[in-house]
Amino acid sequence: MIAFEDVVVRFGATTALDGVSLQVGAGELCALVGPSGSGKTTLMRLVNRLVTPHAGRVLVRGEDIARTDAPALRRSIGYAMQSVGLFPHRTVAQNIGTVPRLLGWDRTRIARRVTELLGLLRLDAALADRLPGALSGGQAQRVGIARALAADPDILLMDEPFGAVDPITRRELRAELRRIHAETRKTILLVTHDPEEALELGTHVVVLRDGRIVADGPPAEIIGPGSDAFARDLLGGGQPALRRLSLLPATEALDATPPPPGAPELPEEASLADALSLMAETGQDRVALAGQDGSVAVATVLRPGA
Amino acid sequence: MKAAPALAACVAAAALLLPLPWLSVAPNRLLPGEPLSALAALGWLVAPPCLLLGLPALDRVPPTVAAALALAAALLLLVLTGGAAAERLQGLPPAARAGLGIGLWLALVAALVLAAIRMQPLALATRALLVAAALAALLAAASSGAFDALSLAVEYRNRADAVQAALLRHVALATAALLLALLVAAPLAWAGFRHPRLAGPVGAVFAGVQVVPGLALFALLIPLLAALLHAVPALRDLGLAAIGPAPAVIATAAYLTLPLWRGLSAGLAAADPAAVAAAHAIGMGEARITREVRLPLALPVFAAGLRVALVQAIGLVTLGGLVGAGGLGALVFEGLAQFATDLMLLGAIPIVLLALLADGLVRSAETRLAVAA
Repeated sequence: MIAFEDVVVRFGATTALDGVSLQVGAGELCALVGPSGSGKTTLMRLVNRLVTPHAGRVLVRGEDIARTDAPALRRSIGYAMQSVGLFPHRTVAQNIGTVPRLLGWDRTRIARRVTELLGLLRLDAALADRLPGALSGGQAQRVGIARALAADPDILLMDEPFGAVDPITRRELRAELRRIHAETRKTILLVTHDPEEALELGTHVVVLRDGRIVADGPPAEIIGPGSDAFARDLLGGGQPALRRLSLLPATEALDATPPPPGAPELPEEASLADALSLMAETGQDRVALAGQDGSVAVATVLRPGA
Repeated sequence: MKAAPALAACVAAAALLLPLPWLSVAPNRLLPGEPLSALAALGWLVAPPCLLLGLPALDRVPPTVAAALALAAALLLLVLTGGAAAERLQGLPPAARAGLGIGLWLALVAALVLAAIRMQPLALATRALLVAAALAALLAAASSGAFDALSLAVEYRNRADAVQAALLRHVALATAALLLALLVAAPLAWAGFRHPRLAGPVGAVFAGVQVVPGLALFALLIPLLAALLHAVPALRDLGLAAIGPAPAVIATAAYLTLPLWRGLSAGLAAADPAAVAAAHAIGMGEARITREVRLPLALPVFAAGLRVALVQAIGLVTLGGLVGAGGLGALVFEGLAQFATDLMLLGAIPIVLLALLADGLVRSAETRLAVAA
């Protein structure tokens, strides 16, 4: 869906991206993570031509975007950012309906779409006629995401969309994004400096450092033993192996041995980290898994995929 | 009792009760008259307006009633003085005049200030209604002949056409100057916004104009325009002349550029950078961003600059009276030259009222815009 081929971006004397190549498949939620100045935002802004590469090319939907009309390209790609940037003189409904209006949709269709999006983002329909000044931080962020989704783009760019909200709202919004991604299967590029967010949300995690990609793959893989040391350090929070276990489902360690009588049982959706926690708590080295015939042994948990 | 209303009421009462000149009866419009104090002119009739002015200063009186009482007091002062003037002029030759003294003006201004202070907490509609009612009462009193004996009214009767024409001319000159200044300031504000390096020099030039004394600039433009017309006679065919409206409008416009340019520049910078960035990122073009995001957000800020410029325009165009542009300034300067106070006032009072009106109108628009944003 999105492909970067040997992209170089310079701002004056500094090189923001230094020969980056990356493929993002359709329906992926690709999390770009890295320290400040690593080039993650620049990489995302290439996609809708907010940044122009000095070398290399960017393909969106198989087409070299250097040859597309920039405003038309931007209208076909949703964009949400940390500072939200809602138009303060326009109502919530007008804000959400901006891109459809630019695309020339008729009023009734826009109104229908706005109602639909307020529902999708779990916003009270009564907010539609308010001005952004009357919204809480979390509500404003939801409206920003609704605006990005308004014209039903197949690609969504999100620049630290949860950076400016409190931790509780952030957790809610993350869950919301995961749900929306699961429901709509849009291709999402998410820039974040929060490793936990990247691992929790991404189906594909890209770690950047000093304008280069140092690791790129599914979250459990990128934090696994064979991965780049910087990526493991950044994402692992000092315990990369434990983090990895929390990303893998308990079914990974399931074997055919029936659980011993009285063995504690894990819920169906449990991760390997949940299994380990339950074992540590109960002192058992084998636990049952709800809805499964076999059981999970500590030795297998410690060597997932072996 | 709050300090400001109490002070205003005290000033009004002092003007009524102290031996300040209230009314002066003169043999004709140019000679100074014999001054009479309020007590001498009105006698015991000073009591009712005193009472009407005392009540609005009390906190207990609700603002609507207080403002209405203060306005009624101002009107009553005028009507009583008009009656007293008619009485004094009886039996005197027709050239005799009854002029208004400093005491009356002081009492009037104090009463109006008192009304304005008490009106502050009221809704805009209520305030407009009160002012409209007061004006209607004033006009009714005037048309019933209550002020006919006052010198100012006599002067107006003799020159009604000239005053009305001057008023229209004044408004036209101020509007033309404002438009001309806008024509200069708007593109430069935009240029300074796009290229911030330009903003400094442009601002310095506009600020430099402010340093030139108004009268000097008006006078200076006459030889400059004359030289220009001599060099390019074709301009003469366009109706441009070295004296008359052209120098007045140009000089006034020169002073208006600074507040307009400042207001526009601040307005353009007022748009939330995040909103502009978002507009850009979701596919709005530069022209559309300016039209749909920057300008609507700039309006409330710009309105403040516009208000300053408009009030300045109404004041400065007065100097146009000296360069043959006409307007209310011509009446003021004619009055000054003849030493005819009433004629001066006939020019000056409408200028003050125009400025107050313009200020009030733009201010209310400003509030509405600020609420909308």
